[in-house]
Amino acid sequence: MNNPYTYTEAEIVDIAEETANIKTFRLRPKSPIAFKAGQFMDVTIPGIGEAPFTPSSNHNVKDVLDFTIMSAGRVTKLLHQMKKGDTVGLRGPYGLGYPLEKFKSKEIFIVGGGVGLAPLRALLYALFNEVDDYKKIILKYGARTPKDIVYKTEIDSWRKKAKHIDIEITTDVGDDIWKGHVGIVTTILKDLDVNMEEAVSIVCGPPIMMKFVTFKLLDLGFRDSNIHLSMEKNMSCGIGKCGHCRIGPYYACKDGPVFTYDKIKDLPNIWD
Amino acid sequence: MTEKIYTITKKNLFDLFGRLSGTHRVIVPYEKGENFHFADFDPKKEDSIELGGIRQSQPLKSFINPPREGMLSVHNEGSKPVIIAGVKGCDLSSLMLQDFVFLQGDYEDPFYSKGRSGTMLIGNDCTYAKETCFCIAMDGAPYPKKYFDMNLSRMDDYFVVEAETDKGNSLISSFRMFFAKASRADIDKRQYNRDRVSAQIKDFINKRGTKNTSQIKDAVMKNYNLTALWQDFASTCVECGACNLACPTCHCFLLFDERSKENFKKRYRVWDACLYRTFARVAGGANPRKHLYERLRNRFEKKFDFFPKALNYFACTGCGRCIDACPGNIDLREVLKGLVDGKWNKPPND
Ligand SMILES: Cc1cc2nc3c(=O)[nH]c(=O)nc-3n(C[C@H](O)[C@H](O)[C@H](O)COP(=O)(O)OP(=O)(O)OC[C@H]3O[C@@H](n4cnc5c(N)ncnc54)[C@H](O)[C@@H]3O)c2cc1C
Ligand code: FES
Repeated sequence: MNNPYTYTEAEIVDIAEETANIKTFRLRPKSPIAFKAGQFMDVTIPGIGEAPFTPSSNHNVKDVLDFTIMSAGRVTKLLHQMKKGDTVGLRGPYGLGYPLEKFKSKEIFIVGGGVGLAPLRALLYALFNEVDDYKKIILKYGARTPKDIVYKTEIDSWRKKAKHIDIEITTDVGDDIWKGHVGIVTTILKDLDVNMEEAVSIVCGPPIMMKFVTFKLLDLGFRDSNIHLSMEKNMSCGIGKCGHCRIGPYYACKDGPVFTYDKIKDLPNIWD
Repeated sequence: MTEKIYTITKKNLFDLFGRLSGTHRVIVPYEKGENFHFADFDPKKEDSIELGGIRQSQPLKSFINPPREGMLSVHNEGSKPVIIAGVKGCDLSSLMLQDFVFLQGDYEDPFYSKGRSGTMLIGNDCTYAKETCFCIAMDGAPYPKKYFDMNLSRMDDYFVVEAETDKGNSLISSFRMFFAKASRADIDKRQYNRDRVSAQIKDFINKRGTKNTSQIKDAVMKNYNLTALWQDFASTCVECGACNLACPTCHCFLLFDERSKENFKKRYRVWDACLYRTFARVAGGANPRKHLYERLRNRFEKKFDFFPKALNYFACTGCGRCIDACPGNIDLREVLKGLVDGKWNKPPND
């Protein structure tokens, strides 16, 4: 019988330093892995521990997968010390991907904060695969400082993918060279040329950012069933058995990790 | 009616266990003082084996989903099939939940599945009740109703035996010489005993005013923000997790990796407890349930709201183990009473 708790080996074939505490690891699993943008996987340091991450790469590519990982604690710190050629474990993918069928022919309004751009990068690549199927693709991204912006070199190339792609970046505080907008991400959620009634929004970032962005989007006229939120919960098994990731009647690992706001808005303490 | 119902003498039963011990791991309950505990069948200790009494100190999950289990490979060759005799109704009914969690959904848990299918369950009627027993309030009974392969109801020096599954029937047919057909009188006597113990439990429930499932329905969510209640009951909680670990329905676990001395990489499943501070904590130390009262409330939400909605099952079997185990005197029955009545009286810590 299949053992969902064990992992397959994957080699670290490349490491890109995004910021002082965020790296993108390119992993080559022993056999290709099919995932859908928005799903997550558990990355294991064998004999040490594992943690959940969303692949940040294009889901059409199955032989190498990117994971953009912030050093935030025990396992992620050790992952950051690993080198090209080292081996990690992978299990998954788990959870539901972004409902791309639902996004077809709509205006897509994406809001990211910090390392929350990781799953959104996978989403963007998935959208770029069929870029003409979407009416408009807008990304609003906020980082703490200009140095904390991830995928810096790539973002420009995203802008060039198609005319109907619009990307704006803001930083909470600026510096000498930063020419872009300064202010938290909610400050660039205005003067939008979007039909809020119909558009879909996808938000990923720290809980406090998601909370304020959600309220802002509702204010602007987005429907709660069109706001897609990535809920970060403590996870262990990833498959709805261990009980860790419960949010009301759901398990974030199997019913999420992305939820539309209408499904969770009446549940207690969702932003904590 | 008397078909499939037999009797077996105590001597024959122990002979049977002895025979089965060659090919199986046979686990039976032993009596020690006021308590009962499961351990491997040992003919030298026959005198303290008690196939009656009340539920044992270990919940049934201990033998199907052990507290710590290696997870990297499913096969542990040569492990014998298990027979557990003496399992009470309150433990057997927990299998509804455990089976749902571990066998259903997109992933079947291969470890649980192996433990479950490799274990023969011999149920057992309670011969009396303890004040903390309230199975009837939780829709249960002091005798097995479901999930047993075979059941033993203790009479004086013999047992009434009922086979429920093929496993149970084939055990009886393989050892037919140990069994006799039950008479009408045997079955009537079994019913008399069941009624007697049930009446005792109902008496305990009435005296205390313990709430039943239809009263509890919706009570947790209605009082979710009755912080004073949760804080009051949590005030003596020492976060030991004993209530979680002793509970036959609590299923939560943690995957835990380590290296052996020889540098072998290991992964274990260990039982986890939602009362622990670390249970819901995420990276960087953020914690959606920082306070003890939130974690205590979470336990009630999971048992009396989540599972009733997910499975139409109240995730409490009324075994009372959490009440006995709690060093802070937190009595689940009193919490539920507080939730339903809107007033409560938290007894002080001993
Ligand atoms: C669906 C999902 C997708 C995510 N995607 C990304 C992503 O793309 N990029 C990214 O940077 N982050 C992502 N995260 C967050 C990431 O999973 C956490 O940052 C990571 O788990 C931190 O692990 P840590 O051990 O470094 O941190 P710690 O703070 O040390 O641990 C975090 C939690 O893990 C548990 N834990 C700690 N030690 C152990 C142990 N020995 N055994 C078992 N559990 C233990 C604890 O409960 C602790 O609260 C995602 C999270 C989720 C839920
Ligand atoms: S991570 Fe185990 S139930 Fe969701």
